[in-house]
Amino acid sequence: MSDNFLLPLLLIVPIVGAMVCALLPDAKVARLWALVVSIATAVVAGVLAYQFDWRAGDGRILYGGGIDSLLQVSTINFGFTLAADAVSLWLVLLTVLLMPLAVAASFDSIRERQKEYYAWMLALLTAMLGVFVARDLLLFYIFFELTLIPMFFIIGIWGGSQRREAAGKFFLFTFAGSVFTLAGVVYIGLRCDTFDLDMIMRSVREGVFSDSERFWLFLAFLAGFAVKIPLFPVHTWLPLAHTEAPTAGSVILAGVLLKLGTYGLYKLAIPIGLLAPGSNRPAFPTLLHVLGVLCLIGIIYGALVAWVQQDIKKLVAYSSVSHLGFCVLGLIALNDAGVGGSVLYMINHGLSTGALFLVIGMIYDRYHTRDIDALSGLARSMPVMAFFFILFTLSSIGLPGLNGFVSEFLTIFGAFTSDHLGIGYGVIAATGIVLGAIYMLHMTARVIWGPLKTPAVHGHGDSHHDPERLKRGANADLAADAPAAQQPDAMTRHDAPAVKPPTVSAVPAAEGPTLSAALHGTQSDAGQGASPDHTPGDLNGREIAVLMPLAILVIVLGVFPNLVLKTIEPSIQQQITQADQQPAEPRTVAAAD
Amino acid sequence: MQTFDNNLIRAMAPELLLCAVACVLFLLGVSSRAAARRVAPVIAAAALLAVFGWQVMATEASATLADQYQTFRVFEFATYIKMLAAGVGVLFVLLAWPTNREATGNSALDFGADAGEFFGLMLLSIAGVMLVAGANDMILLFLGLELASIPTYIMVSISRPLPVAQEAGVKYFFLGAMSAGIMLFGFSYLYGTTGTTSLHEIATRFSESARLDTGATQTLTAWQQLAVVMLIAGFAFKIAAVPLHFYAGDVYQGAATPVTAFLSFVPKTSGFVALIKLLFVISGGAWESPEVVQKLLWVMAVLTMTAGNVLGLLQFNVKRVLAYSSIAHTGYMLVGLTVYAVTGVGADANVKQSALQGVLFYLASYGIMNAGAFGVLMLLPAREDRGLGLGRAKTLPATSAETFEDLAGTGRRNVGLGLAMAVCCFSLIGLPLTVGFFGKLFLIRPALDAAHGEDRTWMIWLVVITMINAAISAAYYLRIVATMFLRPEPTDLAAESEPPTSTGGGETSGTGAALARPMPILIAIGLSVFGTLLFGALPPATQVLDLRASSAANIEAASLSTYVPMDDEDEPATSPAAAAR
Repeated sequence: MSDNFLLPLLLIVPIVGAMVCALLPDAKVARLWALVVSIATAVVAGVLAYQFDWRAGDGRILYGGGIDSLLQVSTINFGFTLAADAVSLWLVLLTVLLMPLAVAASFDSIRERQKEYYAWMLALLTAMLGVFVARDLLLFYIFFELTLIPMFFIIGIWGGSQRREAAGKFFLFTFAGSVFTLAGVVYIGLRCDTFDLDMIMRSVREGVFSDSERFWLFLAFLAGFAVKIPLFPVHTWLPLAHTEAPTAGSVILAGVLLKLGTYGLYKLAIPIGLLAPGSNRPAFPTLLHVLGVLCLIGIIYGALVAWVQQDIKKLVAYSSVSHLGFCVLGLIALNDAGVGGSVLYMINHGLSTGALFLVIGMIYDRYHTRDIDALSGLARSMPVMAFFFILFTLSSIGLPGLNGFVSEFLTIFGAFTSDHLGIGYGVIAATGIVLGAIYMLHMTARVIWGPLKTPAVHGHGDSHHDPERLKRGANADLAADAPAAQQPDAMTRHDAPAVKPPTVSAVPAAEGPTLSAALHGTQSDAGQGASPDHTPGDLNGREIAVLMPLAILVIVLGVFPNLVLKTIEPSIQQQITQADQQPAEPRTVAAAD
Repeated sequence: MQTFDNNLIRAMAPELLLCAVACVLFLLGVSSRAAARRVAPVIAAAALLAVFGWQVMATEASATLADQYQTFRVFEFATYIKMLAAGVGVLFVLLAWPTNREATGNSALDFGADAGEFFGLMLLSIAGVMLVAGANDMILLFLGLELASIPTYIMVSISRPLPVAQEAGVKYFFLGAMSAGIMLFGFSYLYGTTGTTSLHEIATRFSESARLDTGATQTLTAWQQLAVVMLIAGFAFKIAAVPLHFYAGDVYQGAATPVTAFLSFVPKTSGFVALIKLLFVISGGAWESPEVVQKLLWVMAVLTMTAGNVLGLLQFNVKRVLAYSSIAHTGYMLVGLTVYAVTGVGADANVKQSALQGVLFYLASYGIMNAGAFGVLMLLPAREDRGLGLGRAKTLPATSAETFEDLAGTGRRNVGLGLAMAVCCFSLIGLPLTVGFFGKLFLIRPALDAAHGEDRTWMIWLVVITMINAAISAAYYLRIVATMFLRPEPTDLAAESEPPTSTGGGETSGTGAALARPMPILIAIGLSVFGTLLFGALPPATQVLDLRASSAANIEAASLSTYVPMDDEDEPATSPAAAAR
């Protein structure tokens, strides 16, 4: 079993890239550099995937763990060891796919302090990949925590008008949960006398931990992961963070960061805490049911709240709460269908929700609003955008033939057939699908179809027409924080010298009070797609190139879900569903000692 | 009987060196030539560097020294503390480097007046910590503690010519004197009930009484309990633990920033070292401390960190925030000491050691990361005093940054300083890749260990409360980072200085917004950030520091093996290694 140096390379490339990026002289170079680095990371991941023995079932790629390794703290048996199995490799692939797209999507929307922005994005990439490939429990935790810092800055500096509140809430919520995870991690390291996950899993199967210990450990893990996922009562940071984050931040947040929580549940919390040692049955059925009910509440509540949102981004954010409920429900079904569907769900949700945020970002770049009431009939002016929007919406709803259907079906099927959950869970979760279709189609119908209605690209901004604000108008940040801008309307931060009276492209009759409230100006150098007559054009080539890979994958994974399902099955069985049939000693260890 | 003890000189050499240099500096202070006064900080830094290097190099053999009466005993524990005090002391000298009044806001520290005295006092205080570390006699221990404290009273008062500094100095002095009185009272009872001033003798007596009880728990007589409580109260003042923490906010705010940094580490270290010695003594070396002490420490730890963090949330002044955070960090270290007191001979012996190791590691990490945070504050200007009659452009602030308003947006203009502050704050929160993360890890690990060995649910609760507190503390540290990076600069400032030129927001030399950058302070910040990241992100470095703390924590074995008792046949049982079976 030899070290595979591509694994550490996967982490080194982006972090070195981030450092170089921060030192680059020019912002234009920086964003190209970030794109190149994220693609290079994707290439490394691609080679890893190519080398990976997908047929071998529980094949793994390993790195580190030698006794002579320099990168260890031997007093607590912490070491820099990495491993990738099929599940983590799929999530790595998801991450490296989304990151270049997110970077490319930021080219227009991020206009200030670009070097810092791209450096933080690349640092975030390292942290996320690290979580998926860590083979050391403490290392896992370290990367898990490190995702907070870049995201805090990305939301806090480049976010919307409430960005400071959103960033602080994001950081504090997640950190407050994960400190308890740290206590659990340290306790496991203490009892097993190592942080190596393979050895910990062996100890767990041998029943090192008593029931009460595992109960508390599960709660400790849950405290950290539930906030990240986010499960129902602790989800409140998510809508704000999503709404305020820049487009790329939302894409990464929904696409990957939320998966860290479910991945942690799958990888650690359930095998270590929930399953009785050496079996695939839950040790704490009551806890399982509590968790299941929380998922159901999340599914229904998230869907209902999404239904009434005015802000498209917020709607999709709440839909994430609902969707991740399915994901966790599948995990705790503890059968092949449920867990497999759940892992597939992680990937599919990353693809379709990430893509939706990208499209919404493109709309926002053009109109500087995400208000459902302010937008209508976009299909008339932007048919290409409408195509993608509807495709990803349908994927998110779970239309058969697209990717969302398979995973949604499997998680609910898993809940139905689970020995531990039962029909009630399946039935209630299934209503969540109906609600999901309602709120998504409700929004799509209003935004995409109907008579064309868009806010003017150039606002009047009369009410803010004082000279001092004009002077500072160039600096959007200052404008955002000037007292006059402290209005509920997020649009005011783009207030700029007025050049034109308000123009509403069409159907002025439909213009309601909300519309005029949203009309207060936009940047004069508005969206990239702005055509000479100031009507934003359809998607440009770069934007289509960003969306196309996701669109293809959405269809491919919808038609051939087995591409993922077959490959992850052995890992899942070893991890959870057939934990009872595993020999006490996993076959993959040994090399470390 | 020898009249002159070579061993004493050798054992006390670092302290003697620092005291001698301090005397030289006092003389330099009265020199009429400015050039002579100008070398004062150089000499101080050189002396501390020499001591630091010496202690780093000290091997186990050379580290075990004692004079013939055993009043002063140096072993690895003391060596570690000396290394720490000297090493972090260098940072403090660099921070307090008298550059000019505009740069640091420490107008008393310009070369015109007090530089010599100031650095002399600093060295004396550090020598006091070292004396505490080596003291094996309660009188020497008391003298060491006072030597560490009394110079700081003066330093606070002369640090800047503002009424708040005088107020802080007086407050600090009176409360310090009171705590010294309480402490001395406690020492007298301890002497009265044991009949000896030698800490080691007392420890031996306690260990004998422990064996008589055949239990692992010590019992104290009522008088001894009184003595111990008074001593802990006295030490609690030095370490700023609840309920003797009230001075911290005012004093830290009143003193000039470099002095605040000094206060948050040096007297605290002396108090912790003394507390460790006290716990060592009353537990008879390796046994559990008496139950009353365990409970007292538990309650103190919980109250201290909770009060520190909750009050820290409510502050508007960043120096006060750091003051309350300093109280909170005292609480974290008290968690380690609680575990140290709770565990004892037997299966727990190694937990006892790792608890102490955690405290020592945390002390080091706190010293490293805290200095940087104060350093960054020093280089940022205060904004309140702008435009006081001297014309806007030329006015330079009289103090360094203190309030959140002062910090707003500064991270954008001074990216380097902002990042340094971010690193220090993240380390103080305990985020990974910083030394603070491992500090927290090494503190809660023994606590969990102690909890699972025996049925001690209250240790689990201690960990839970610690973690909740870590989450609370994140809020105010994050507020500092957010203020620097996410908030815009005040509009009048931004209007008169050029808007950030490049999108990258490099280090533009803004007018009035950035102070002159004195090199020594930059070096101190750099060293602090470097140390924070080095010991946090590079496992080999972490391991080096950890091993060092680990051998330093082995005070039972070190001290008892070199000690020659009257009745040697009983002695082996006292060493935890033997008792651990």
